[in-house]
Amino acid sequence: MSAQETHGSSAEVAARVERRWATIAVIIIVGMALLAAFAGIHQATMPQPRVETTDPSRIHLSGEFVESNLGSVLEANGNVTVRAIGQQYSFTPACIVVPVDTPITLRATSADVVHGILIQGTNVNTMLVPGYISEQLMRFTKTGDYLMPCQEFCSFGHEGMWGKVKVIDKADFANRAKGGGRLSCVGQ
Amino acid sequence: MLVNRKLILAHFWLAFALFGVALTLGAWQMFIRSPIGTWLSNPELYYRSLTAHGTVMGYVFPTLVAMGFGYAISESALEQRLVGVRWAWSGFWLIVIGSVMAVIPIALGRASVLYTFYPPLIGNLFYYLGVVLVVVGSWIWVALMSINLRLWRKAHPGAPVPLAMFANVAGSYLWAWTAVGAALELLLQIIPVAAGLKNTIDAGLGRIFFSWTLHAIVYFWLMPTYIAYYTIVPRAIGGRVYSDTMARISFILFLVVAMPIGMHHTFADPQVGAGFKFIHSAFTALVALPTLLTVFTICASVEIAARLRGGRGLFGWIRALPWDNPMMLALAFSFVMLGFGGAGGLINMSYQLDASIHNTQWITGHFHLIFGGAIVIMYFAIAYDLWPHLTGRELIDVRLIRSQLWLWFIGMIVTTFPWHWVGILGMPRRMAYFDFGDPAIAPQALSVIFSAIGGFILLTSGILFLVILARGMRAPQADAGAYRFALAVHQPTTVPVALNTHALWVALMIALTITNYGYPILNLATSGGTSVPAVYVGAQ
Amino acid sequence: MSTRDLFTFHNRHFSIGVGITAAILIVTAIAGFVVLPFAQPWVRFSSIWDAICSAAGVAQRTASVTVPEQANRLSEVVLTSHTLSRPSQEAIGRGATLAQRCAICHGPIGISRADSPNLAGQYAAVIYKELHDFRSGARTNAVMSPFAVNLTDDEIADLSNYYAYLPRLPAYHPTPQLPKPNIVIYGAPLRGIAPCGACHGSLDNKTGSPWLEGQSDAYMKAQLQAFAAGERRNDISQQMRNIARAMTPQEIEAAAAYYASQPPDVVKAVD
Repeated sequence: MSAQETHGSSAEVAARVERRWATIAVIIIVGMALLAAFAGIHQATMPQPRVETTDPSRIHLSGEFVESNLGSVLEANGNVTVRAIGQQYSFTPACIVVPVDTPITLRATSADVVHGILIQGTNVNTMLVPGYISEQLMRFTKTGDYLMPCQEFCSFGHEGMWGKVKVIDKADFANRAKGGGRLSCVGQ
Repeated sequence: MLVNRKLILAHFWLAFALFGVALTLGAWQMFIRSPIGTWLSNPELYYRSLTAHGTVMGYVFPTLVAMGFGYAISESALEQRLVGVRWAWSGFWLIVIGSVMAVIPIALGRASVLYTFYPPLIGNLFYYLGVVLVVVGSWIWVALMSINLRLWRKAHPGAPVPLAMFANVAGSYLWAWTAVGAALELLLQIIPVAAGLKNTIDAGLGRIFFSWTLHAIVYFWLMPTYIAYYTIVPRAIGGRVYSDTMARISFILFLVVAMPIGMHHTFADPQVGAGFKFIHSAFTALVALPTLLTVFTICASVEIAARLRGGRGLFGWIRALPWDNPMMLALAFSFVMLGFGGAGGLINMSYQLDASIHNTQWITGHFHLIFGGAIVIMYFAIAYDLWPHLTGRELIDVRLIRSQLWLWFIGMIVTTFPWHWVGILGMPRRMAYFDFGDPAIAPQALSVIFSAIGGFILLTSGILFLVILARGMRAPQADAGAYRFALAVHQPTTVPVALNTHALWVALMIALTITNYGYPILNLATSGGTSVPAVYVGAQ
Repeated sequence: MSTRDLFTFHNRHFSIGVGITAAILIVTAIAGFVVLPFAQPWVRFSSIWDAICSAAGVAQRTASVTVPEQANRLSEVVLTSHTLSRPSQEAIGRGATLAQRCAICHGPIGISRADSPNLAGQYAAVIYKELHDFRSGARTNAVMSPFAVNLTDDEIADLSNYYAYLPRLPAYHPTPQLPKPNIVIYGAPLRGIAPCGACHGSLDNKTGSPWLEGQSDAYMKAQLQAFAAGERRNDISQQMRNIARAMTPQEIEAAAAYYASQPPDVVKAVD
């Protein structure tokens, strides 16, 4: 009888210890999920809110990704919108110019296969999937030059697909934007 | 009682031979794109090698290990001859044919699309057909595992299914269902285009289908490792499983929550709604639960072994562990790598943190540490443990085995830690070469060199592994006795029906797949106008 | 132990398993589809349905935007991998007749004796695109434009198919074969230049990019310089201007000279 009892009670102890550990594990996990949601809202790093589609073989004919509309534009509210495309094997514009300390919306798509935009030293990172438009909010706190490699395999020239981002002074950007049109730092 | 030893050995040998080839390619890739290599005059060779490395390591190698190990478990845990041996061989040969069919176009440079396919890039038709055959071959194994368990149940009504077999069958069901995503992508989307029947494809939908497979496949790779944690390690080091029930719950949790989380691979994709990204992110957090439970149970089981060997004190028992036992060593290495890899995984799980490292070398570092490190090192341990039972010969060179495990551990750390680091610096994945001469990325050069050195340490360890196994085929004969699995401290006499069968959990797995994947797939499949022209690789 | 006993709320495991799963799903769905969309001050949703549909990923066509006028005429050609992929013998025959008027510059068998491009065995999509661009004015050339301006769509397709069908022959500017310059082999990654062969045939062909072996040195150099200076703009979305601009004058010379010196059999003939 005593063997039975010891068996029963030690099993109970084991089960209790396990339950405690499981509770701790659940608390850790819930805590992390809440932290992620909180950080997303307060750091404005949420996934793009809408899914938008486009026809990649016709983006150069009409719509927002025609050549004359690619580049950075200063909006009436002081924000900046950047439109860019990825294609085998370059980004257009190959050098993106934006002002520092300004809310920027990046809108981009692919003209052929899957590409990705990654701006080194920042958390700007989005896929370009042909047929869909990617949108990302960003804000740079430091002026300077950033590299912008394609981060997804896009066939045999992938290793040569590196763009650039130039973050410049706000006043300087506003000056350049006066002439209207779309800005880029291509050829500078 | 291992009867069909030839069948099991065939699976293991094919798995490890292919592993050797893919490992060599991997080491070459690390070298050639590092600052100590010279730039390839044909970058396609790099992508060709990468396709072969990924296809073998992702689809063929772990599948064969799981199959061979599964047959061994079925025979020894159920103490019942494998039913359907002919079918098992046909599954094996399907995998052989599929692998050959896939590897030929890869070797010819006709399918350098990487193992993740990446439509609208389209390679040679036979590459995709080969992959399909490999999957079909493995589905035969799934069916056999289910049938063998069913027969055993009939003969033992109401008896608790041995833990090893319970977990093994859970793993096989998980694989059967998770492979469906890639199968749908291949059969409905890619193969019609590769065969010339269609010339457009929805790249966004393809990525969703693939994410269905891509994450849960990791847990399929993980299953043999977890089975070894629970049912081999405690026995090998002279301990007992702390809790049979907790083990069952862990495997059940994997079955349920490994599936509906794959979209964390598409956090940065434009074709997935933010709401579904959030749901998948939350469920991804949940998948940490079975791992946390496992870490606890295994540590407790190991502690039991140590105390039985006279270990004392709060942490003093750690010294009493049988550290010269390869299984103990493998477990410790595996846990260390699982710890670091798991911490990295928690970062990938969060949309906000993932944005900094998505598609950088961090990700490659992460899954090499988890899969190549924590998981594969236990594959080695499983092979070492089973080998004497399969060959009827002794594995004598324990010191060599220990060195092999040490080298693998060191190699994996040296490879993946710098890899993670350059990922944080923003180094993108899958590039054939980098201009380290440019001051903008020159600071990454040293880390990349370390990674490449790690790659060669891994290659050395891999060769050593094959040598040990090959020598084991010619060692003096010795009867290893029956193959046994670890017993629990409290061996279950009865198990609630829910913890003894898989039906409820498979139903939940499918239900969660429908809730978490149903709408995103239907939405893109029916919305129209999102298909884009195919781009054929290697067209000249 | 039948499934009947398992799939019932009387079974504790069933009710707990299903209950917890459903609860997590409902909580995360409410958070993901309702709470989080409205918690983002930088996005505006017109209604709760708009928020839910957007979070679910209902595909939307982008609202039209006003875009600046194009200052110059750009290419309006739509190219895909199946553009002109299956020519008929009749089309090739009609193309042969039409091609007689091209022979003065491009040679009777598609190999130019002057500095005009060789067309024999060129990818059909390339000739198709350039003819369309010459016709629309996206690309201009004093000699070529008048020829293109009166071509119909069918005539352009026939000509493209005909020239693609011709065998690739050695060119008329025999020079000793030059070693491959680094810019051609490797490109220049951090300047955004991929290896030339990634598009121009020796590694892979990007639809619309020509293979270049044996073309005139002077012609290729002039085109690269025109792309770099922005004088030639018919490359869709600047795909070639991006590359040419990043090349140094020396690299342009080296690349042009290398390709001019190569025999055409470096690339496989069209089958």
